[in-house]
Amino acid sequence: MTLKLYGRLQSTNTQRVILILKEKKIPYELVEVEFGQNNQPERLQFQPFAEIPYIDDDGFILYESRAIARYLVAAYPEHGPTLVPPPSAGLRAQALFEQALSVEAFNFYPTVSSILMERLFKPFIGQTPDEAEIATLTEKLDARLAGYERVLSKSKYLAGDEVTLADLFHIPLLTLFGLGQIDDFTNDEKVKKWPSVARWANELVQRGSVQA
Amino acid sequence: MVLTLYGLAAPLGGTATVAMTLAEKGIPYTFVSVDLQHGEHKQPEFRKKQPFGLVPALDDDGFVLYESRAICRYLAEKYAGQGPTLIPTELKAKALFEQAAAVEFANFEPHARAAYNEGVLKPHFNLPIDASALNTCISKLSDNLDVYEVILGKQRFLAGDEFTLADLFHVAFGTTLAEAGCDLMTSKGPNVKRWWKEVTSRPAWLSVLNSGIKTTMCEDDAFKSGVSEP
Repeated sequence: MTLKLYGRLQSTNTQRVILILKEKKIPYELVEVEFGQNNQPERLQFQPFAEIPYIDDDGFILYESRAIARYLVAAYPEHGPTLVPPPSAGLRAQALFEQALSVEAFNFYPTVSSILMERLFKPFIGQTPDEAEIATLTEKLDARLAGYERVLSKSKYLAGDEVTLADLFHIPLLTLFGLGQIDDFTNDEKVKKWPSVARWANELVQRGSVQA
Repeated sequence: MVLTLYGLAAPLGGTATVAMTLAEKGIPYTFVSVDLQHGEHKQPEFRKKQPFGLVPALDDDGFVLYESRAICRYLAEKYAGQGPTLIPTELKAKALFEQAAAVEFANFEPHARAAYNEGVLKPHFNLPIDASALNTCISKLSDNLDVYEVILGKQRFLAGDEFTLADLFHVAFGTTLAEAGCDLMTSKGPNVKRWWKEVTSRPAWLSVLNSGIKTTMCEDDAFKSGVSEP
């Protein structure tokens, strides 16, 4: 039975899963869940938080895009790139990978997601972006990017010299930087502050667009 | 050589999460307090260990790791043979664990942390509380805990019937909610209440509360879960 992915193409969390499905060349069927339909009973029974995406892999239901990605990598090891350190790489390589995953989840996603909420989602629902809040969030993001620079000036990717899920998880939001008017990687003055991050970010966005 | 944990000696947040995991596994460690009040964590010296200038960080005989959840996962893997199994190994059980761990950071942590910042940290620095902001995060937390109430009516813990890191990750911020004036962890429903009581009564957490986060002098100080030295 082909794996079913329940979500929406416009949802960055759905995109995160699609990205991994494509990297791993896993066949799938996208079942479109319309905006505002997450809390229908037939959806809630599978995703109790009324969110998307979730998958149905031959009867096994799983939600949370990052958990789904980890499962896909573990369940389909022979397909496509490994995207996680192999067991032979040892405990420390695994730990550094977990560290990088945590950085994405805590030091990147919440801040960038909030800025994009202000810039893209609020206008979509007829509200005005809060510029003062955006300024605070931008300051926070810049501090985080300085941290990323310290890491990426020493290694090609976040967990070492191989690309992993930790890098790929950034792609859906990185791809919205342009639309969201976040100029950290296009403004020359800013790029000077974090050239390694800019290199890494641009490479990832390219990789994401090739897979699309 | 003994592990060194760098962080804040208080029963909340990332350092306490790691301290609880060390206690669950009976792992002795040296504790080095980082002077957050005077900005020690932002100094270049500390940034060599933690490039984002945050706590905690762990030094295991020269191997340095940061991000509390990554540290806990590392400890669970390295010391898999002693103490409770904090991460399942079977494919589907592990996937359900990852799902629960993701729910913690996506649906619990942001709102619990916001409530802590607004309701506990601000008064601590004599800043006025924004009641509307506090109510918003408590309300979001409440909606998500409605789902926890359903999940925990079907299974004992968040990833299944065994205690895992997914449950543990809730403890150090969840316990600050009461101080922020939010009693959801006990008032939401019987299932959440039962689960919360169970996870916060674990001897490992009680040792963090009662003995504090400090260097364990010898094997005897590390919480005895009936295991021998690694």
